[in-house]
Amino acid sequence: MSPLTELAELSRQFEAEAAEVADPAAWEELRIRWLGRKQGIVRARLAAFKEVPPEERRDYGQAVNRLKEQVESGLADLESRLTTAAVPVVEAVDVTLPGRRPMIGSIHPVSRVAADVVEIFDGLGYSVAEGPEIETDYYNFEALNFPPDHPARDTQDTFFLRDERLLRTHTSPVQIRTMKERRPPIRILCLGKTFRHDNDLRHSPMFHQVEGLAVAEGITFGHLKGTLYAFLKRLFGPETEVRLRPSFFPFTEPSAEVDVTCTFCHGDGCQTCSQTGWMEILGAGMVDPRVLEGCGIDPDRYSGFAFGMGLDRVAMNRYGIPNIRVLFDNDERLLRQVKR
Amino acid sequence: MEFSRNWLARYVELPDEVDELAAKLTAAGLAVEGLERRDGDVLMEVDVTTNRPDCMNHLGLAREVAVLFDRPLRPPAAELEESDEATADIVEIELSTPDCPEYVARVVRGIRVGPSPEWLRQQLEAIGQRSINNVVDITNFVLWETGQPIHAFDLDTLAGPKIEVRHARAGESLTTLDGERRELSTGVLVIADAERVVALAGIMGGSETEVSEATRDVLIESAHFDRTAVRLGARQLGMHTDASHRFERGGDPAACRTAADRVAELLAELAGGTVTGGALENPHPEYFGTFEGTVDLERLNAFAGVDYPRQRVEYYYRGLGFDPQPTGETGLRLTVPSWRYYDFWQRRESGEVWEADLFEEAMRMFGYDMIPAALPAIGPPDAGSSFAHRKRERIREALASCGYSEAINFAFGRRDADGLFPGLDPVGEPVEIANPLSEHYEVMRRSLLPNLLESARFNLRRGASTVRLFEIGNLFPGGEADEIEAVAVIAGGSSPTAWDRQEPVDLFEVKGVLESLFERFDGRLEVRPAEPSGFVVGSGCELLAEGAVVGYLGQIEEPESPFAVFAAELNAAALAEAEHPEPVRAPSRFPAISADITLTHAVDVPWSDLQKAIGEAGVEHLASFGLRARYAGEGVPAGAVNTTIYFLYNAADRSLTQEEVNESQALLTRELERRYGWQG
Repeated sequence: MSPLTELAELSRQFEAEAAEVADPAAWEELRIRWLGRKQGIVRARLAAFKEVPPEERRDYGQAVNRLKEQVESGLADLESRLTTAAVPVVEAVDVTLPGRRPMIGSIHPVSRVAADVVEIFDGLGYSVAEGPEIETDYYNFEALNFPPDHPARDTQDTFFLRDERLLRTHTSPVQIRTMKERRPPIRILCLGKTFRHDNDLRHSPMFHQVEGLAVAEGITFGHLKGTLYAFLKRLFGPETEVRLRPSFFPFTEPSAEVDVTCTFCHGDGCQTCSQTGWMEILGAGMVDPRVLEGCGIDPDRYSGFAFGMGLDRVAMNRYGIPNIRVLFDNDERLLRQVKR
Repeated sequence: MEFSRNWLARYVELPDEVDELAAKLTAAGLAVEGLERRDGDVLMEVDVTTNRPDCMNHLGLAREVAVLFDRPLRPPAAELEESDEATADIVEIELSTPDCPEYVARVVRGIRVGPSPEWLRQQLEAIGQRSINNVVDITNFVLWETGQPIHAFDLDTLAGPKIEVRHARAGESLTTLDGERRELSTGVLVIADAERVVALAGIMGGSETEVSEATRDVLIESAHFDRTAVRLGARQLGMHTDASHRFERGGDPAACRTAADRVAELLAELAGGTVTGGALENPHPEYFGTFEGTVDLERLNAFAGVDYPRQRVEYYYRGLGFDPQPTGETGLRLTVPSWRYYDFWQRRESGEVWEADLFEEAMRMFGYDMIPAALPAIGPPDAGSSFAHRKRERIREALASCGYSEAINFAFGRRDADGLFPGLDPVGEPVEIANPLSEHYEVMRRSLLPNLLESARFNLRRGASTVRLFEIGNLFPGGEADEIEAVAVIAGGSSPTAWDRQEPVDLFEVKGVLESLFERFDGRLEVRPAEPSGFVVGSGCELLAEGAVVGYLGQIEEPESPFAVFAAELNAAALAEAEHPEPVRAPSRFPAISADITLTHAVDVPWSDLQKAIGEAGVEHLASFGLRARYAGEGVPAGAVNTTIYFLYNAADRSLTQEEVNESQALLTRELERRYGWQG
């Protein structure tokens, strides 16, 4: 028999032997017989290479390799068939029975939105600044350019304490505290609880704000606009349109109300947006030079922008919560649905 | 504030489409929030911000429209015929306070009070004002035309006749037009005649001097009152009127005269009156001073981030009344018009206006849409630390992963509930809210638990079989003490189905959650038996970190609950975090050997003593040990308990032998038996 014919015969022989294998022990025997390091058939054929006449060596080499591949893949197939079949059937399992889930908690919708905002601004190099919830008139109003007995204060119905202090009506006092402590460049977010003397379906006496502040040399109104575009498109989706229109806040000059396309009707007009297609989402502006000066920052050298947004309304919007009071019921049936 | 399109059209030619008008006004900072078409008119709801009292009337809004649409403004010019009788001979005006920097009076004689003509009725009704009679309607019309509040007195009822502007004296009172009798505290700014108070300056007139059907001669008051004086008076009396709303925001001193003339003209025309010769005026320009400022066009462009065409910038400032005069290469010297004084009021001392305040005028007229959006150069991250925020996020993630849901409650609560739980050190008198919304919100919380317990009850009442909530929030310990950030958890119950194989929450589940929370912050939680208020006796303990009390834990007495409820509160500061995570220890590559010891001991021997004893025995290669089981009952003497402890031995460099382990176990058994074994 020529070496090549012999190889063809071996190939048939392997298939025949493999067909007989029924358990892992027989499989192991087969493997050693064919692929064993010392006496395996395949190894012996490989070693026989040098005995083949030179003119047949090329064909022989290829045929031996084919045999080797055939044995290897045959053994692998056999193995997977044997291991699958080897699992003994103990009882019929009704796999449609419910799985046992670990109890998973949830993070409050407002905290979720806050975390997203922080993440977005983290990428723009902002840090998060903190401040107390009980404030003085100075930090909550005076330093923010609300003069005493000014009607602008009427827009911020205030809870007063018995000792002349008050509950902050916005997170802006944190901006003042930061600007008094540090020199520009400053890029911060302030977020937390805020309080206003108001309680109905649309207003809660406690709510949450996030504010941003950037103060440096050469900050322009265009930078405010660019930052808000970047932020709001990340928060509400890239298709969101952003509109700034002039407004008034005592602590910014000029000021802007910022609208985004209504997240319910996408700008077509619906009940939520009073048919305008826009939702008022944020107030912003260039930091008033009086505010900078009051914090010891030279307004001729530095400029800055600031913006503020209610987190509760964004959360209600995102999760379809109809009424702000529902946010603070802490109904676990609702909270556990909030997954991201 | 509501405006009529037809009324606006009296002073400026409007674009054909009201939507276009609304869009431009909105883009210029006068947000049109609603359009209602009716009876051939359009009612426009415009949000006028508090700094723009000049736009709280039709003429003022028309001025903005004229500039935005490049059209001329047509203000009404009063054409008056005056009689030979001099007004100065009829009435005397005395200003006894600096709080009235301008008082213009006119007299119109021989009027007939009656219904208003159709156009006047319609015009007022279009903006929701009720027509009363021609005299009242005319004053109202001029208010909504010019923004200047007007009062008309029945001249015959004024003693003197004299008008004095002064502050109320002790014991004075006035019955106002609405029929209310009002006791005046001293200091309220009033109008008086020779004998008594006849009106509340800038707020409301009095009923005794009001114009009636019998009135023949009227005195027209068109004055400017100090806005703080009006605001304080209105506050003290609990009043808010169209007039006080405007005076509090500040008016246009120059409008006093033009509005008085306008009223006189209309009274002559519509009520058949004769205007007497001359208006009485008492201008005090020093009260207002002047407001000027310079806009540098290059700085304006840099500030906005846009290149505005110079001519157009000048056009806007001119149209808005700022009278731009070139100064230097790129400067414009601006003078603030009288109707905008109050927007620049904070610069009254120096008279020099900040450029940013003036920039705004040009920027809003161009509209913010034309400003290109750009991001500032990023540079290095902000120098501040976000540590406190990150830590809060990690607490949230840790507790949520333990099956707890985050609650957020109000930071205030009921006084009687506030003291139910111990609170965290230091605990002072509760901080009271001076103007609470209700008794539910009267003090700032000194503990998170009362409100969190309410949240648990909310869920219980809705049939919850398990409650697992946590909250992170500030406590207000009282006095001058800083706010304390606290973390609280409340939990109880279990899934009601056997399939879920859940045990009801017990003290050790909550403790375990807190332990794992501490572990995440590289800390170790210890406890010490205690009796914190509000907890079931015998169930409570104090939480310690590094030897200091940082909180408490226990079972809450909660009659509403069908299952036991457990709660804990701790100071978030106890969850300190190292800057860098601790390095991990490489596990041994050699097999471990485990062995148990069961010790029978008195029930009052605490586990922590056993732990300590094991530590003190100092056996080698003990990788870990812990509680495997506790058993009391059959086979265990009364008063004793069986505690089974597992031990795991492992060496870093070799396989231990069973003999070595047996030796260690024998030593431990001896030690434990000797110190704590049941003696019978």
